[in-house]
Amino acid sequence: MSKIASWIAVAGVALHVAAGAQVPVDIVAFDTPNDAGASLTITWPRAETAVVSGYRVYVATAADGPFRLAVESATPGLKSGEPALFGYDDDNERFHVVHITDYAVGETDEPAPLQDGTLYFVRLGAQTSTGEVLGEVASAVPGGNWFNTAKWNNIVLTIGLSVCILFFISIARRKDLFIRRIAGLEALDEALGRATEMGKSVLFVHGLKGMDQIPTIAAVNILGRVAQRTARFDTDLRVANVDPVVMSVSQEVVKEAYLKEGRPDAYRPDSVFMAATEQFSYAAAVAGMMVRERPAAHVMMGYFYAESLLLAETGSTTGAIQIAGTDAYTQLPFFVTTCDYTLMGEELYAASAYLSKEPKLLGSLKGQDVGKALLIGLLFVGTVVASFGVDFLTHLFAAL
Amino acid sequence: MDRLINIDRRIIFIFIFLGIAIPLLVDIPLPIKPTPTVRSVYDEIERISVEDADRPVLVSFSYGASTVPEMVPMTRAILRHLFSRGRKVVGICLWPEAVGIAQPIMDELAVEFGMEYGADYAFLGYKPGNLAVVLNLGQSLAGTFPFDAAGTPVGELAVLKGVRNLKDFSFVFDFAAGDSMEFWWIPFGQEKHRFPFAGGCTAVMAPDLYPFLQSKQLVGLLGGLAGAAEYETLIEAPGSATAGMEPQSVSHLIIILFIVLGNGVYFTTRRRGGKA
Amino acid sequence: MLFMTRTLPFLFCFAFGMTGFAIYYVPHEWAQSVEREFALWLRLVYAFAYILGLVSLLSLHWSKIRQRQAGWAYSLIVYISFGVMFLFVVYNDGNGPFTSQATTGPYQWMFTSIHVASSATMFSMLAFYISSAAYRTFRARTPEAAILLVSAIIVMLGRVPIGAYISDVIPDTMQWLMSVPNMAAKRGILMGVSLGAIATSLRIIFGIERSYLGGGGD
Repeated sequence: MSKIASWIAVAGVALHVAAGAQVPVDIVAFDTPNDAGASLTITWPRAETAVVSGYRVYVATAADGPFRLAVESATPGLKSGEPALFGYDDDNERFHVVHITDYAVGETDEPAPLQDGTLYFVRLGAQTSTGEVLGEVASAVPGGNWFNTAKWNNIVLTIGLSVCILFFISIARRKDLFIRRIAGLEALDEALGRATEMGKSVLFVHGLKGMDQIPTIAAVNILGRVAQRTARFDTDLRVANVDPVVMSVSQEVVKEAYLKEGRPDAYRPDSVFMAATEQFSYAAAVAGMMVRERPAAHVMMGYFYAESLLLAETGSTTGAIQIAGTDAYTQLPFFVTTCDYTLMGEELYAASAYLSKEPKLLGSLKGQDVGKALLIGLLFVGTVVASFGVDFLTHLFAAL
Repeated sequence: MDRLINIDRRIIFIFIFLGIAIPLLVDIPLPIKPTPTVRSVYDEIERISVEDADRPVLVSFSYGASTVPEMVPMTRAILRHLFSRGRKVVGICLWPEAVGIAQPIMDELAVEFGMEYGADYAFLGYKPGNLAVVLNLGQSLAGTFPFDAAGTPVGELAVLKGVRNLKDFSFVFDFAAGDSMEFWWIPFGQEKHRFPFAGGCTAVMAPDLYPFLQSKQLVGLLGGLAGAAEYETLIEAPGSATAGMEPQSVSHLIIILFIVLGNGVYFTTRRRGGKA
Repeated sequence: MLFMTRTLPFLFCFAFGMTGFAIYYVPHEWAQSVEREFALWLRLVYAFAYILGLVSLLSLHWSKIRQRQAGWAYSLIVYISFGVMFLFVVYNDGNGPFTSQATTGPYQWMFTSIHVASSATMFSMLAFYISSAAYRTFRARTPEAAILLVSAIIVMLGRVPIGAYISDVIPDTMQWLMSVPNMAAKRGILMGVSLGAIATSLRIIFGIERSYLGGGGD
């Protein structure tokens, strides 16, 4: 009987070993790349057959243990699911990956996080029908990384575009750069002239965003040029504000513009005023102004929200000439249908360059155009090659 | 003909008013067919209710008083769905006005579904900072919202046990009437931390967000009252959004009829050689 | 004085701009803690901006009342409204100002019945305004305008149940219009605007753009 028992035991061990032999449990452990630290990553080959019901990852601070449970998973991820770390190799489908950030220290205690600079020993346990199969111990030291290599494409593009813009700014200081006609801005002089002839005011509205936002900066730039023209033509200018910071910047801009035109006496501080501080209060205040004072021209530049239609439609009923410019995609249809001229999207940013013909503004516009040309070219080429199953460009520009 | 070309706006206003008021009084049942973008949100909540049931869901309220008619129905529909699946919900506000609107709704629905404050749901209130709040949430929830709206430290709320930052939520949903989805949550939250994210917005904003649906930065999107009505249909709980579809349908038809009339008059006048 | 109004802001702008740029590419904990601090400071600035906005609003209306400018009575109403709301915030439904905001009481009533109602009413006016704008401007003057007109009608019908009631083709076509042409246009504008934003940001960081300081000096 004992002989049979021993044969059974050996057979059991053989089966166990045979099962383990089919279960790859030897891991590669390394510091998780592109992270802030306190994390290790382990990878191991996927089991070819469905003998494994789950995996456990154990961590210890000494090679001989004690090993504590860090991660338990029935379906750990694959390397192919993390292209930021492992790229797009076809082989990635064959490897599991798990990240370890902490490990259990007791039944009821909080898990202990990994510490940067500490050597950790890691081993994998595969749960099979015959029990747990443990792999060899691997070790690694977690630490923070100083550069996110997955964003190399982003930094190359950013630096390239930035250099291009700065280069064209320097070129613009020596050469004249061509800028195409923007109909809405050419009409600005017409609008201001009309206001002067009618003896009525020009209303300037620069949207709802604050001074830290790009569209507001573009709008304030345009306000400076409009103020110079109203100073020159002796036309009344009214600037309605919703933000106190934008209002004080606008006051300075208008005052400076009047000074430049040699008309400091014509500047009135109350021409730049706060209409309201809340969206619809502002819309009601400005709409009321449009109906009562009947400015001859409305210039609406900046970022608008729902009040855009209220303002533009009310303005259209007064018969004023309306010129709008916004990069708010959702408000463009409202301005297009109700205004005489609309500057769409980045035309708002180009407007400042167009009006002033300043080298730095023209140069940066040119740089943007080069960037756009590059993007269009890449889109076209990328679409064509991707259609033939070549994913190189798609992967190159993936945001990881 | 000139009068038709330059029809008094007030006549159009009267027709629109009647087109909205009468269907509110007279029931005209219309079938509501959920669109794929709305169904994606529903499917995602169903999925996490099964696969990721232990972790709470974060809902962010970024709307104000003016968009209550559009946003409150979808708020109710989403919260109803979450609570009905027994999901733990944590609410925050990125707009100050949202506190007075969202908190009563959360409390009301929580009572309806027998949810206990602190254990099953929590409301952390408003913090100024817009995108900076999302940035900070990505690093530490307790550092950004150390207390809930009632002044209880977040460490004492069972619903937030184990939640350190945005990555510890199973799903994040933003109700947006402004920039919050496109300029705060997606670039400073979802792009950095890659959590499942979806949102509901006003109808006028919905076209803005389609690129993010295609790039899968948004799992799904509820657009306006129609999106809310579709969601009410999916959860089989018709409410004010479903009721609003009838007046909306009639008013859209009225606008289309006026456009057709306007074009008819325009082409007739042009044929006669007049100025349109 | 010039150092404080011009040079120091440039230095701050450059330092914070370049740091913010670098942080995006540096995952190290040191960079993340800098980002955390910046975000905290930004939140403080936003919080103080509310105070600034309130003070600006009150001083603007005070000067209108004092000088008896046209419409000064409305400025008086602003002060009265602010005072009443503030009193009820402090009263806090009997709980006082040092407990969390009550969800019942006069303040909540005024918020819901006055503020929410009037704000929603203003927003609802858009329905009427878009109808009159649509009637006036949706004319098929050119082939492009005709395509725009037809697309608008399909989207208007497709977004409401009546479209599906008429035919299933309408919501399907609406979905295609939103997912393909609309998205393509939005993406194009988004790319252009993003490039513009990058260029403007570069100009601000390198001190080429100074309009945000006021004075318009370029």
